[in-house]
Amino acid sequence: MIGQSYADGVQLLERERELELLRAAVRRVADGGQGAGFALTGDSGAGKSALVDSVCDAADGLRVLRGHCDPLHTPRPLGPFRDLGVPELDSIGQKDVLLSEVCEQVYAAVRAEPTVLVVEDLHWVDAASVDVLRFLARRVESMPVLLLMTYRDVEIAPRHPARSLLGDVAALDGLASLPLRPLSLDGVTSVVGGTGLDPERVLSVTGGNPFFVTEVAKEPDLPMPSSVRDAVLARTAHVTPADFEVLQLVAVAPDRLDDRVLPKLGVDLPTLRRLDETSLLGRTANGIVFRHELARQAIESTIPPGGGIRLHARVLDALEQVEPREPAVLTHHAVAARDATRAAAYAREAAADAIRAGAHGEAAAFFEIALEHLDSATAKERAELLLALSFQQYMTSRLREAIDNVRATFPLWQMVGDEAGLAEAHAMVAVYEYYNARRRQAEDHLDRASAIAAAAGSRLTFGHARASRAYLAYMRSDATLTLGCLDQVHDVTEQEPEQFLVLRGQVIDDAHALASGDDAARGRLFDHMEVARSHGYDELASTVFSNLANLDVEHARYRQAERVLEESLPFTVERDIPICRHWQTGVRSRLQFVKGHWNAALEDAATVLDADGMPLATLWPHLVSALIPLRRGDEVPESAVEDAWTLAEQLDEPLRRLAVLAALAELAWMADREEPRLADAVALVPVLGAAPGAGWAAGNLAVWLRRLGFELDASAHVAEPFQLLLDGRCAEAASWWHLAGDPFAEAMAWTDSPLTEDRVRGVTLLDKLGAVGTADRLRVVLRQEGLATVPQRPRLSTRANPGGLTNRQLDVARLVARGLSNNEIAGRLYISPKTADHHVSAILAKLGLPNRRAVVVQASDLGLD
Amino acid sequence: MTRFVIEREIPGAKDLTQDQLAEIAQTSNDAAASLGVPYTWVTSYVAGDKIYCVHDAEDTETILEHARRGGFPANKVTAVANEFGPHTAGGS
Repeated sequence: MIGQSYADGVQLLERERELELLRAAVRRVADGGQGAGFALTGDSGAGKSALVDSVCDAADGLRVLRGHCDPLHTPRPLGPFRDLGVPELDSIGQKDVLLSEVCEQVYAAVRAEPTVLVVEDLHWVDAASVDVLRFLARRVESMPVLLLMTYRDVEIAPRHPARSLLGDVAALDGLASLPLRPLSLDGVTSVVGGTGLDPERVLSVTGGNPFFVTEVAKEPDLPMPSSVRDAVLARTAHVTPADFEVLQLVAVAPDRLDDRVLPKLGVDLPTLRRLDETSLLGRTANGIVFRHELARQAIESTIPPGGGIRLHARVLDALEQVEPREPAVLTHHAVAARDATRAAAYAREAAADAIRAGAHGEAAAFFEIALEHLDSATAKERAELLLALSFQQYMTSRLREAIDNVRATFPLWQMVGDEAGLAEAHAMVAVYEYYNARRRQAEDHLDRASAIAAAAGSRLTFGHARASRAYLAYMRSDATLTLGCLDQVHDVTEQEPEQFLVLRGQVIDDAHALASGDDAARGRLFDHMEVARSHGYDELASTVFSNLANLDVEHARYRQAERVLEESLPFTVERDIPICRHWQTGVRSRLQFVKGHWNAALEDAATVLDADGMPLATLWPHLVSALIPLRRGDEVPESAVEDAWTLAEQLDEPLRRLAVLAALAELAWMADREEPRLADAVALVPVLGAAPGAGWAAGNLAVWLRRLGFELDASAHVAEPFQLLLDGRCAEAASWWHLAGDPFAEAMAWTDSPLTEDRVRGVTLLDKLGAVGTADRLRVVLRQEGLATVPQRPRLSTRANPGGLTNRQLDVARLVARGLSNNEIAGRLYISPKTADHHVSAILAKLGLPNRRAVVVQASDLGLD
Repeated sequence: MTRFVIEREIPGAKDLTQDQLAEIAQTSNDAAASLGVPYTWVTSYVAGDKIYCVHDAEDTETILEHARRGGFPANKVTAVANEFGPHTAGGS
């Protein structure tokens, strides 16, 4: 009868292994409160829901919460969590609450009692729900929850919102993937046994898809359907045309046909009873659905062209009369009903909902719908929508589209004579172009913005444009221009003391001061950051962190950089500031690289490069991706250095140029070949090195050029450890790097010494660090110079690998270094004590240390402090 | 048809205004009319945070269907076994 789920009456075949795994997980939740997560994958009709149903039915007294993702054109943000039926979560995403707080709310609600939490159809998931699920996934072992997720793997493309979540399932503790395979011949035989159907023929037609096989078996006397569609439609053979139209109505409401619109649509109870005989429909908490998506698609395919419009309009009219309204659902129907006015209006409401929920991809999609359907809007309205869309696109790293959409507003501002609006739009494009690593375009737009704002008398807009220009100048190490632009900002704020602009100016001023060597500026930057936070200028506060961390790494203040990033990276996640998250992850990849934590560095580099990190943030990730395999003796990805070179050209910033040239020099040295792009490098060292704060980057390049045999200009100003090395004081240089915490630089300093025992010491250190490739190169050089006792390449099995710790292991290792027990570590990281123990064992093995005490004692040497 | 007593848990029920109750009544009437089977909504009492309803219907399923269409909770549905009152008193 109506009310049964699809799985009633469906046997679960060939799922014994999966069922046992899941039932064991349920028992572990019930007994010990230790949670786990599984992602069930398979084609449509593979039986994912049936398996979930089976687990839920035998849930050992656990609370069962089930949500599923909306099969809408653009889903409701946080849809699956709102549908769980947990009172505390009914209205999440609808108030102005940070997404990070929503995550905490869901976490608290879900772990309140032993629970099975199901979220189905992740291929339709919205971005905000992904964030919540990732939050839960990271803590799954610490909650009494079995998290079950289902999805169709073929539908998850590279840019799909669920990608990152599935990455977590693969990488994190306590989570696993369970693929559901099609039925075997034996399985098919069990289903069709007794019907007279030939199992081999059925297997061949259905491919073993359980849904299809079951449908075929239900009507064995009919000719074998050649598709799922035909199998489903066969079950509607006796349905009257009027009733069939009701099926079509349900089919066009893919999330569900809300019960409350049945009166308005004129669907009575006898109709539902008749349709129940097709076994195609089911009842959810508040609506009618098809028991299976394949069935819905089959019925939907019978709607003639143009027929859908009428059906969607009927559903839309009915839904408008029930409260509370769901803008995402209304948008879906209005678009399909070709009702431009209502589509635009509801899309804008849906976008606002999505923004509140932190679902930027969905917000952008809704804004695009609104723009597409905007018929009679004023130029100003259109311009504002375009700006809103572009901001959401920027938030999802779609910079090219964001830029194009802001540029599309230029003629509109001109049409209405809004010069201030035009200036602001140019300033906005400039920022996006810079994040896109296109400096020249960014500078041009800022100059336009300044000129237009000045002519229009918009002082604040002018001030902000000059502040941005100052920032670009600072990043280019152009002291004169930086200070000149800041003077202009100062002039503006004397007349119009807007707090935000004042603060921006101070931040750039002190970042420049710190870069130029004024250490007191560091403290001032922290003060500015606090002021920014207290005023709610989250993005500004985050950029202070970004600049601080960057300068700390640039100037070898590695411990301070680590502490800044520890606080700042979670801040970027909590406050949803993607550009800073990408930039700081890139900085961290460089920091891990210099500290010798190479696996962790590659992890961070991959995060930026693979997950749509904005181009500006990709320079060091590219360099790290090239230099680590180079030093290890592995294959170097060809494009990595070339991409870095192109980026450095586009950015035209001395610090970045010097870094890429140094990388090219190291590559040339390793391969013992010429690199034409280094021809000018010697001359560039004093030139680029004269820029504020460039002594480190210049020094690094100088040292590599010297190793290649180039003669250097003695007047070039370089930072202390490099000067020591160039002066031949290798032991002191090595000691300097040892204290700073850069083991590779330390080892290379030893190898630059003329004394054999120093060079041997260097090679040994390189081997210990895992820089076997570099060590091998030096072994060749030493043998060529006639040295008899060259230290041997260590055997793989004896090689401890401190650089082999992953980011996760580093997290654990740092806590071990502070003396925490497994239980304390488990509590801090939301994992189980058993998992913590596994990590500690793996860490000790990689570090080649006997016990935790050794980690505490050697914390500084290991770079764990 | 059978008579049923339905308990609906609605936090804040006693604070519903006359206008709000009138709207709910309209929704209930529309839901009943849409069923296409015999159905009588007899009366309802708001008491505390619950609403107690008396309906005549063919079966529980129909009662639940009416509740779905109206968007009302139906926490407990019980068939009336007997009705009695001061006027049915008898005996000594």
